[in-house]
Amino acid sequence: MTKTIVVTSGKGGVGKTTTSASIATGLAKRGFKTVVIDFDVGLRNLDLIMGCERRVVYDLVNLVNQEASLHQTLIKDKRIDNLYILPASQTRDKDALTIEGIARVMHKLKKSKFDYIICDSPAGIEKGAKMALYFADEAIVTTNPEVSSVRDSDRILGILQSESKRSKMNEEPVKEHLLITRYNPTRVKDGQMLSVDDIVDLLAIPLLGIIPESPSVLDSSNAGKPVILDDESEAGQAYSDAIDRLLGESKPHRFMEAPKKGFLSRLFG
Amino acid sequence: MSSNIGVELKGGMYTFMSLKLHTSDMHVIDERLADKVQQAPGFFKNTPVVIDFTLIEDQNDLVDAHKLLECIRQHQLVPIVASISDKSSPLAQSIAIPLIDGGARRANVEKSISEDLTAATLTSSATSEITPDVNLALSREIEYVVKAPLLIDKPVRSGQQVYARDTDLIVMGQIGPGAEVIADNNIHIYGPLRGRALCGVSGNTNTRIFCQSLEAELVSVAGNYRMLETIPEELRGKPAQIWLDEDRLNIEPL
Repeated sequence: MTKTIVVTSGKGGVGKTTTSASIATGLAKRGFKTVVIDFDVGLRNLDLIMGCERRVVYDLVNLVNQEASLHQTLIKDKRIDNLYILPASQTRDKDALTIEGIARVMHKLKKSKFDYIICDSPAGIEKGAKMALYFADEAIVTTNPEVSSVRDSDRILGILQSESKRSKMNEEPVKEHLLITRYNPTRVKDGQMLSVDDIVDLLAIPLLGIIPESPSVLDSSNAGKPVILDDESEAGQAYSDAIDRLLGESKPHRFMEAPKKGFLSRLFG
Repeated sequence: MSSNIGVELKGGMYTFMSLKLHTSDMHVIDERLADKVQQAPGFFKNTPVVIDFTLIEDQNDLVDAHKLLECIRQHQLVPIVASISDKSSPLAQSIAIPLIDGGARRANVEKSISEDLTAATLTSSATSEITPDVNLALSREIEYVVKAPLLIDKPVRSGQQVYARDTDLIVMGQIGPGAEVIADNNIHIYGPLRGRALCGVSGNTNTRIFCQSLEAELVSVAGNYRMLETIPEELRGKPAQIWLDEDRLNIEPL
């Protein structure tokens, strides 16, 4: 059975693409045949984060318009077996996508025996975002610990409940996961950011993981390597934990406490 | 899909005016109907009515159902159904419109309802002027039917809007910021209210909002509203009810 997971948020810049790349990589690393689709037509980014920007020949719009085959369009990841990238088009816009076209693509992917289809949603609540979430079985709602991001996530949760295929066909609702990104426990402690408890209380959906704010996220992006592959970094470990929880394991949440300052750093800090 | 259904058979509840006959005397009926209709000709014109025979059906031989229905039709009312308790009586046989169960069972229902509610809320303006000794009463059944409340068992998210038409709204979860819940009657929220809640939107000033935690952006009862800033600090985040006391919006802890 193929599972389709949308990574969405409403608000831009909260870490959807970073999350999509790491979740897809993490699942593939555990042996699942996984494809990650960039739905941000016109503002292609996923290929950069995945480090395959020089290998893009055909894209999602070509596939939707039946100008290229699935085989031609999918880019196989060079680091991880079982991992494929379906890039967005940079020269077109979201109007180039249609539900029928996406349905055909999804069908082909299912026939190719993919275990997971990860849909990297564009920001906003317009056509592109709705297309990305339409076929979702599960949703990872990416939220930063700030009020505007939480409100936008609440909005996107409402859209998931009313505009996804599952809701329209009266099937079991889309399974929702909350992923808090750019979490900075020190700033939470100082009252500059919302706490995990606040966010969970506001959104009332199960928590999949907390990704701490970390310079390694930017470093990895620049290097074209999903941060989950950086075992040293806290963000990488946190994504790894999230994968375990996504697969049904229960793991305690980490990286929620502000680091205790040692004697020296207190002295010089 | 809906386009190729063609027809759909469904049960439904509709409200009709009922004409209760207190006498079989055709002249009295004719006279009283003329009076009634003359008060509001437009209101009664071509109105479907349920004819209630239950009070006069034991005078079987005195009632000429055919003439009676003719008389009613002449006043431009449209008899559609007759309510009668003994459907096999000669009177019932002579009624040329469909029959429904009247009598004991129905009377019990009406009795219990009229005990629960005051007479004033049950009778429409058309009947309020009728003195107790008249032998013909027109009553609207409209207030007898209480529509089931609208129940929402998940959170109402930002950007979503829920409207409970002609009834109460119950939400088993939170109302997110930027969400809007609206009802013609009361609103009950078993969770925090962080968005907007508007009750009595079609003018019912006798409605209230109840919530588990008052953090609303706006609350309104029958068009009288208040924003969060004007909600006293000590009530925020507490269980509360909001109601209207002569154009003044009251917010009280529960």
